[in-house]
Amino acid sequence: MTELADHSTDYGIVEREAPEVMARNLRVAAHLWASATLFFFAAFLFAYFYLRTLDSSDVWRPTHVDPSLTLGTLAVVALVAAAALVRLGLADHRAERRSAWRIKGAVALVLLLLAVALQIAEWATQGFGPTDGPYASVYIGWTALLAVFVLGLAFWVETTLATSIRYRGMGSEAVVPAGHASGDADRAEPDIANPVSLIRPELEALSSYAMFLAGVGVGTWIVLYLL
Amino acid sequence: MRLRRLLGYNLLTAVVLGLVGFYVGWWLGHQFKGKSLDYFGDTGQNDIALFLAYLTGVVGFLVGLGFANYPLQRLLGKPPSLREKETTGPGRYFGLCTDHKVVGMQYLIGIGVFIFIGGLNAMLIRFELLSPTSEKFNANNYLTLVGLHGTMMIGMMTSGILGPFANYLVPIMIGARRMAFPRIEALTFWLLMLAGVILMTTIGYGGFPTGWTGYAPLNDQANMGMDSYIVFFALVGLSMCLLGLNMLATVITMRAPGMTWGRLPIFVWSVVSTSVLMLLAAPVLFSTLFMVALDRTAQTGFFNGQAGGSAYLYQNLFWIFGHPEVYVLALPGMGIILEIIVVFARKPLWGYRLAVTGMLGVTLLSFLVWQHHLFVSGINADLRPFYMLSTELISIPTGLIFICALGTLWQGRIRLTVPMLFALAWLFNFLIGGLSGVFLSDVPSDVTTHGSFFSMAHFHYTIMGGLLFAFFAAIYFWVPKMTGYAINERWGKVHFWSMFIAFNSTFGPLLVIGFLGMPRRAVTYAGYLHGGNTWVSYSAFVLGASMLVFIGNFVWSQVFARVPVGPNPWGSKSIEWELPSPVPVHNFDRIPTFGPDPYPYGVADAPGGRAAVVPARPTL
Repeated sequence: MTELADHSTDYGIVEREAPEVMARNLRVAAHLWASATLFFFAAFLFAYFYLRTLDSSDVWRPTHVDPSLTLGTLAVVALVAAAALVRLGLADHRAERRSAWRIKGAVALVLLLLAVALQIAEWATQGFGPTDGPYASVYIGWTALLAVFVLGLAFWVETTLATSIRYRGMGSEAVVPAGHASGDADRAEPDIANPVSLIRPELEALSSYAMFLAGVGVGTWIVLYLL
Repeated sequence: MRLRRLLGYNLLTAVVLGLVGFYVGWWLGHQFKGKSLDYFGDTGQNDIALFLAYLTGVVGFLVGLGFANYPLQRLLGKPPSLREKETTGPGRYFGLCTDHKVVGMQYLIGIGVFIFIGGLNAMLIRFELLSPTSEKFNANNYLTLVGLHGTMMIGMMTSGILGPFANYLVPIMIGARRMAFPRIEALTFWLLMLAGVILMTTIGYGGFPTGWTGYAPLNDQANMGMDSYIVFFALVGLSMCLLGLNMLATVITMRAPGMTWGRLPIFVWSVVSTSVLMLLAAPVLFSTLFMVALDRTAQTGFFNGQAGGSAYLYQNLFWIFGHPEVYVLALPGMGIILEIIVVFARKPLWGYRLAVTGMLGVTLLSFLVWQHHLFVSGINADLRPFYMLSTELISIPTGLIFICALGTLWQGRIRLTVPMLFALAWLFNFLIGGLSGVFLSDVPSDVTTHGSFFSMAHFHYTIMGGLLFAFFAAIYFWVPKMTGYAINERWGKVHFWSMFIAFNSTFGPLLVIGFLGMPRRAVTYAGYLHGGNTWVSYSAFVLGASMLVFIGNFVWSQVFARVPVGPNPWGSKSIEWELPSPVPVHNFDRIPTFGPDPYPYGVADAPGGRAAVVPARPTL
């Protein structure tokens, strides 16, 4: 043993960690993940302008390669609206209007899934394939990646919403009943004190990332449909 | 109970589900039919099936380890939690465990195994090059061998320091009990191990001819072994990105009271700089490989010139990741060396702020130099001066770090322990690596040395001479803390001297051989280079043997001899040495408060030293 630690100290010392630590983790991680997300798409942006400028073999974008602006616009509108609803839901949560947040969260979830469905509909009806030139390549790769990120965002919205619904009758300081711990099957109680109180920080992190991804969606729409 | 454990979430279940997943994906992939997919029928090659098989295999493996439980329970609305299976005995090393110290140990052994395999490949390469003609391997197999060696080493060593040592030490050094996201931490390790296994399966699918860089158009034309390379690097990229994110989030949010940015140990600063690179560069790699995968499966034309794409685009994208990657390898080594030198010179770190500035400078500049890898690939001539200048500029922040190391050594009370020997050797090797790099950053000399053994020797001096020597310094320095048992010092010195001499005897002559015209990745070479190559091969075998000395010493010391060490065998002032060896699962009984000076080595420790520093022990 030393002054700072002893092997004989009970492991329970790490249990019931204050939720503020995880709240900080979440807020910072959302911004870090947003910066990483930017670089996932930066590769496609680079490819877009590189291949468009190069236009080798003069096949950048044959005339029949023209994805539906209507479907693309609807998909990005759904994404932006979902992000806005999450943001408004956060405001509701801060104002203790929990049920209003849950409704907005549920609508946001539906909109995110709708955005992916619209993208799939676009692929199914677009009238060109991946072999139809560099624009088609970038279009398919970029939108596929965006769809994966939107699905990830939908997962995050769902988990936050599900926790909020499950503990809707409890205040943020409420003690989670035994047997409600997630993850480790051997664990009976959560290792974070008042995990229900993490809904708001999670919503804050989610909201900032959703707004960022909506921005990526708008950027995608401008580059792939308008330029 | 035993049956439950056997059938529960563990490595065995993971392997079984991984194999099941692989074959399900393989079968599923063969059900795809389509206009652009008909060519598979002609060649007997089905890249879609293999990609799907790898994907479902990875998912099956992770489900078997228990990674799916938490997300599924969150979907059902259960609240967040942090820790899994932290206190359940030796089994925790073979499954999902969120203790950052366990993950650190897992990384150390896991990466060690794959580095050993990469090293064996190197021995086979040198065995072949004993003769100027193709003897043991044909050209294709030789290319796969070279590619496997390079890819395995580069891919695994991206996390070579951050995986074992940053995971283990950073939370402790900043006074935290955990990483910010413990499950993600565990996930990064298992993704990396899966990546290593997948890369090795390339042999069963015909290998890949591209070397570690995977250049187009070869990456599109190659057989299915290329898919293994793509999935390997994509998983490595994902692991890197998540590792970087986790490290940054940990350092930003989990520092104990008193641990301000200006008091961070220099090793933590090197981890921060490296993590920034990992977080931002690895996504570019992932997206690039996604494009390659689309080219190979859906017949897109990103890198296919005939389809309107460009092979040159691949080179750009790859090196936008690839050059920061070089510093992902080098920066943590610098942090380790500075951290070790202060202990064995018994002096505070000279120029702490200068070293931090150097690290951040390297981080920034490393994103602005990538096109120097493309000097001979058709780069616009007007761009050459900028990239030449930016590449040469990066030697300034690197030099600052070097100066800080030398300034710390100056008039220090130096103890030549094994970690210190490796640290000093790092200075020597990295200097040669850096100086030889100047020739490659200059366009005129790069034109003559590019693609030769000169550039290969250069990056071995920086990566092996830099990173691997730092890796061993860290092992000898911190493993006694991690396990509680000493590593034999005498055999450690045998390992060091044999490795140091053989390393320089291998790669020093390769600089010359490269300058004389020996190309990389060629199984045959001109007769006049035979003598030099023979010398290099025998030196490489001695280098390989030195690794056996290390393995023998490590296993003997840690498994059989088991000589306990006290909490602080080196007399270090860093906080991890204030804890018992090994560190208890909870790290600290209470979160410590840090004093003002991260390196309080002073008069009492080093008579004749330069600085009188008030020792500042962490207080409870």
